[in-house]
Amino acid sequence: MIPGIAQFQQIIWAVNAIMSVMLLVLLAVRKNYRAYPAFTFYIAMNLTQAALLYAVYRRWGYSSLASWGVAWGSQAAMICARAVAVAELCKHSLSRYPGIWALAKRILLLCSGLVLLYSGVAARHQWKLAVPSADRGLELSIATVIVVLFLFVHYYDVRTERTDRWLATGFCLYSCFGVLNDTFADRYLHGYAELWSLLGMLAFFGSLFLWSWALRKPLTVTVTKENLLPLHVYQSLTPEINLRLRGLNEQLCRLWKPEVTRH
Amino acid sequence: MNFNVILFFGFVAILLLALGWTLRRPQRHKRLQTEADSLEGGGQRHIAYLPQIRQAFAKSDYEFLSKNVPPDVLRRVRRERRHVAVAYLAALREDFQSLLRMARVIAVLSPELDAIHEFERLRLTAKFAWQYEMIRWRLLAGVAPVPQLNGLSEFEWKLE
Repeated sequence: MIPGIAQFQQIIWAVNAIMSVMLLVLLAVRKNYRAYPAFTFYIAMNLTQAALLYAVYRRWGYSSLASWGVAWGSQAAMICARAVAVAELCKHSLSRYPGIWALAKRILLLCSGLVLLYSGVAARHQWKLAVPSADRGLELSIATVIVVLFLFVHYYDVRTERTDRWLATGFCLYSCFGVLNDTFADRYLHGYAELWSLLGMLAFFGSLFLWSWALRKPLTVTVTKENLLPLHVYQSLTPEINLRLRGLNEQLCRLWKPEVTRH
Repeated sequence: MNFNVILFFGFVAILLLALGWTLRRPQRHKRLQTEADSLEGGGQRHIAYLPQIRQAFAKSDYEFLSKNVPPDVLRRVRRERRHVAVAYLAALREDFQSLLRMARVIAVLSPELDAIHEFERLRLTAKFAWQYEMIRWRLLAGVAPVPQLNGLSEFEWKLE
């Protein structure tokens, strides 16, 4: 047992570690690590972080400055690993459609950049809050990227793997929760740290459950590229379709403002 | 709660709503080949009924009726004209959706997309959806008087 951490919190921590091990075993047994190497690395890294923090807390205590540094440093590495895992999911979902994937990549990068900027501007500019603010910015950025990815998939009506959708949902919910948690921590820093940590662990438990459910079966790897049309088909038909869509819009516009048509 | 908290909570609420919306509506897993069949359709099926619609909304018909039939018949005519207008709107939307499906199939199967064309289509889709809902609700609520829809009789389908 680690002094300074509530017993219930330590139990949840242990449960999360066990769940992570089970998920890694599941990834290995079902051979899904081949489809999701970055996701597997993220889970393995999470397990390593848990072991490292356990050792650090035992050695220097929960409230020491050294523990604080190691905890936030490893958290930064974890978020980077999560961002890579999310990028892998995006690629997994859309790379079969090269045109859409090329456009989506640019838009997703732009969105994440804008959200990071927004988080930076909206954060309270105090040194002691710099790390939680950066954490929140990255979490918000990850959640936004996943939602925009889903919007893309929905808009173009492309087929995606069920596993991809569940994994992405797990990431998104965890990141959204992280943003709310960090925002509360930002506001009520004193006296909220313990609850912040506990809620974070519970949210991670929920995501681990979702991911384990998604990966319970081996993936049938069907990353075959669609038979693509020649580029000139898009270049010639799309402007024409847009013109027709504009024509239909004009019809509606005349209904909306009938006086325009009266001479 | 300060402004900062509301800002972040609002952002997360929007994200969760969008996530729920995209996950809730089941994707239409139509085979791309089946969708490609719509390439032949041209997406303008309902516009072919424009002459009949013109007839239904002819101002002279309505004026004639208002002088020669009892008020309850006139009310019925108004109601039915409203139904015709709503049905016509739905048909226009169907044409629009058909064109959109065609554009999406082409985009999905293209090796490269032009962001300008894609954003233009997104803008047109949003504009159409907004106007469609506004007109439909105005019609259903009876706010837009049907004779006002005589604008319909002046439509010219520019792309024919």
